[in-house]
Amino acid sequence: MNSNTLTNTLKFIAINAIFSGAIGHMNAASAAESVKATVNGMVCAFCAQGIEKGLTALPSTKAVFVDLKNKVVAVESKDGQKPDLQAIRHEITEAGFDVVKLEAVPRSVAEIRADFKGKK
Amino acid sequence: MQRFLAAAGAALSLCAQAGPMGFKGSTMVMGDFGPNWQEAWVNYALTPRDALGVGTLTMRSDNHRLKREAMEVNATRLLARWNLPEAQANLWLVAGLGTLTGNDWVGSRTLVAPGVQADYETTRVYLSANTRLYRATGVKHDYASVRAGFSFYATDYDETQPWLVLEARRMQGLSDKTEITPMLRLINPRYFVELGVNQMRQARFNLMYIL
Repeated sequence: MNSNTLTNTLKFIAINAIFSGAIGHMNAASAAESVKATVNGMVCAFCAQGIEKGLTALPSTKAVFVDLKNKVVAVESKDGQKPDLQAIRHEITEAGFDVVKLEAVPRSVAEIRADFKGKK
Repeated sequence: MQRFLAAAGAALSLCAQAGPMGFKGSTMVMGDFGPNWQEAWVNYALTPRDALGVGTLTMRSDNHRLKREAMEVNATRLLARWNLPEAQANLWLVAGLGTLTGNDWVGSRTLVAPGVQADYETTRVYLSANTRLYRATGVKHDYASVRAGFSFYATDYDETQPWLVLEARRMQGLSDKTEITPMLRLINPRYFVELGVNQMRQARFNLMYIL
């Protein structure tokens, strides 16, 4: 194997490694599934703690994000688990608030949090 | 007696923003502390709209001659709630039943203390009004308070939000004074505290915490 061939082989391996890593990362990101709820009446952090505690206690919950300014609650499911929309709606209602919209989004709670932080 | 009734009513008024009960299944501790009164409540939310609790209160008059002690069991009911896109409004009913003792009479008297409260709040503005009747043999006083406040700035859910709240409260038939107390309120997902000084330069500390 001459030096050119060796160099090209190393470049190929490096490029492959970079791209496969990036693709793997993208797959991991898109694998995350969350439910984003728009909630009416959520104006006080102390009052809204019931939402966080109720949703965190659900067996399928991996992470919860509450945003008072945008009236949004996001719940990320554990890997391989489908979000239980009915249970999420029930917990928010039991905490004393009204759910006006529920949508499944292919985003993690960390990504949703970053989206809202980026809006400021 | 004015201070006593003020303190008893304060448990309701201090909870106005967060409501005098927590979420279903939660136990909430509430306290109102000043030189002339110390009060503590704890209640358990049986449903999203109902809580049962107990409270204790020790109070003394400004001249330190009179002392009152009350113990009560109470029921809190959320009569109505309006969850709006940018606000929340509530109507609460509190009914207390207990005993009242004083150092100017012998024995204890049955205390009945029904009250109502209305509040409206956004993430930046807060308004409330409440009244509570304190009735026992030989004791008939009505308590009323109003509160208005604003937050200095909006915060994220997990940050502490400072508020300035002004409270005016009055006890009918006991004093012609209206007590005015500006308070700094700090709200956080874990706690709710208020620190203030009234026009008589008496310090006050209120607390709510969900166990």
